[in-house]
Amino acid sequence: MKVLGIETSCDETAAAVVDEQLHVHSSIIETSLDEHRAFGGVVPELAGRAHVVTISSVVERALIQAGLDPHHPDIDAIAVTSGPGLIGSLLVGLAAAKGYALAWNKPFVGVHHLEGHLFAPLLETPNLPWPMLTLLVSGGHSMLVLQSGPGEHEILGETIDDAAGEAYDKVARWLGLGYPGGPAIDKLAQGGNAKALSLPKSMSGDSYDLSFSGLKTAVVRATEKQSDLAIEDVAASFQGAVAEQLLRKVRQALEKNEVGALSLAGGVAANSALRHGIAELAKEFGIPALLPTMEMCTDNAAMIAAAGLYRFQHQGASPMNLSANPNWQLVDVS
Amino acid sequence: MTIARTCVNDEATQAAGEDFGALLRPGDIVLLTGRLGAGKTTFTKGVARALGVKERVTSPTFTMVRQHDCHNCGGIKTLHHGDMYRIESAGEVADLALGELVEEAGVALVEWGELAAEVFGPRAISIHFEVHEDESRTLSVHGIVDDARRAEFTKWASQ
Repeated sequence: MKVLGIETSCDETAAAVVDEQLHVHSSIIETSLDEHRAFGGVVPELAGRAHVVTISSVVERALIQAGLDPHHPDIDAIAVTSGPGLIGSLLVGLAAAKGYALAWNKPFVGVHHLEGHLFAPLLETPNLPWPMLTLLVSGGHSMLVLQSGPGEHEILGETIDDAAGEAYDKVARWLGLGYPGGPAIDKLAQGGNAKALSLPKSMSGDSYDLSFSGLKTAVVRATEKQSDLAIEDVAASFQGAVAEQLLRKVRQALEKNEVGALSLAGGVAANSALRHGIAELAKEFGIPALLPTMEMCTDNAAMIAAAGLYRFQHQGASPMNLSANPNWQLVDVS
Repeated sequence: MTIARTCVNDEATQAAGEDFGALLRPGDIVLLTGRLGAGKTTFTKGVARALGVKERVTSPTFTMVRQHDCHNCGGIKTLHHGDMYRIESAGEVADLALGELVEEAGVALVEWGELAAEVFGPRAISIHFEVHEDESRTLSVHGIVDDARRAEFTKWASQ
């Protein structure tokens, strides 16, 4: 069984072909990031337009690279992200998927973007000891998820205000750095003193919920009060505080739950402090750490195909009148 | 006279939002302006509480607009929580169709609302959040033309 995956929920236009062994036959990602960089964030109108321009060529390339006929591909289903995300961007992928499904007479299935992220580590390490604890951190989401098996997820905690990646982007824009903010701050942080600023310790209780708004505000306050702070020190202190909170919550979850493997997912998984900390924690608890490659951390269609394959096998196809849901919650997926 | 209320901390900002939410009517559009960390999301959490929103209200920066169902608060059925942080042009604000959405028993609160002011014009209420040296915030309300409502919001300011 082969599934074509399509992902257009934010600024990446992606298509991939994955089989039921979760072997990736192809994975094409086009990003409109350069167009957004000048604006310091994703511009919805630009993203939507960019998807329209690139979607058919991205799908065609994914099919050809997988050794399939791009006009009559021998696939069994089409999986597409139908939420959450930017409405204009989601609609482009969904309309394309429905068009292909009608033209090729194939079933199609709508996939939750975050369930896709949860499947990403499986594409690189198929035989995992379950249950798996995943720290999912991106520009739009931050949560700690316990999975007893594929497609079985329990959200232990999530952000009560800003997503971790959003806090990175906002602090970066405040400091006059480029977009995306994560890599820019991560790079500067390497040469800074993480103890230069004393930032508040957020979410000190037992809950697994996360919060980054207070940290963001504390950085703004500190730089307003003291204009001669070295930007490297600000970056290192902010990054240190974000990682401290995330790793503290992961540790709490490891102490209180039976966990077979620890994984990172989402765009912020590229962060060096986080990768290092997660690897150390896994070692301490004697479990494998799954640190996906950059291509699998960030938005891609292989993870959507994998999640779609699971949903298609367990629940069948989605109806043709399925609409995009920009506010779709992961707890409502089962 | 300016309608302004000073909040000493996050809890006070949320309480100001809750009191403010109680004065909202279907069709209202409220633009929130002020720098990073000024308390816009905190205020919105308070408004959501007044409107009987059950789920957690978080920053809508990523999806631009989040919809929340309101419960037991008269004629308001939906809170549209918008965020213009990523938006660059007035045309894109119009694309979000908030003006149309609030017509169906909704209210809209729009963070980073500077850009939206030219789209909604005198139809919108605006609140500017100013952060002071001692961490307190002053919330100034503009754009209330109706005399009876002005009196209500003036009372809100003195709470």
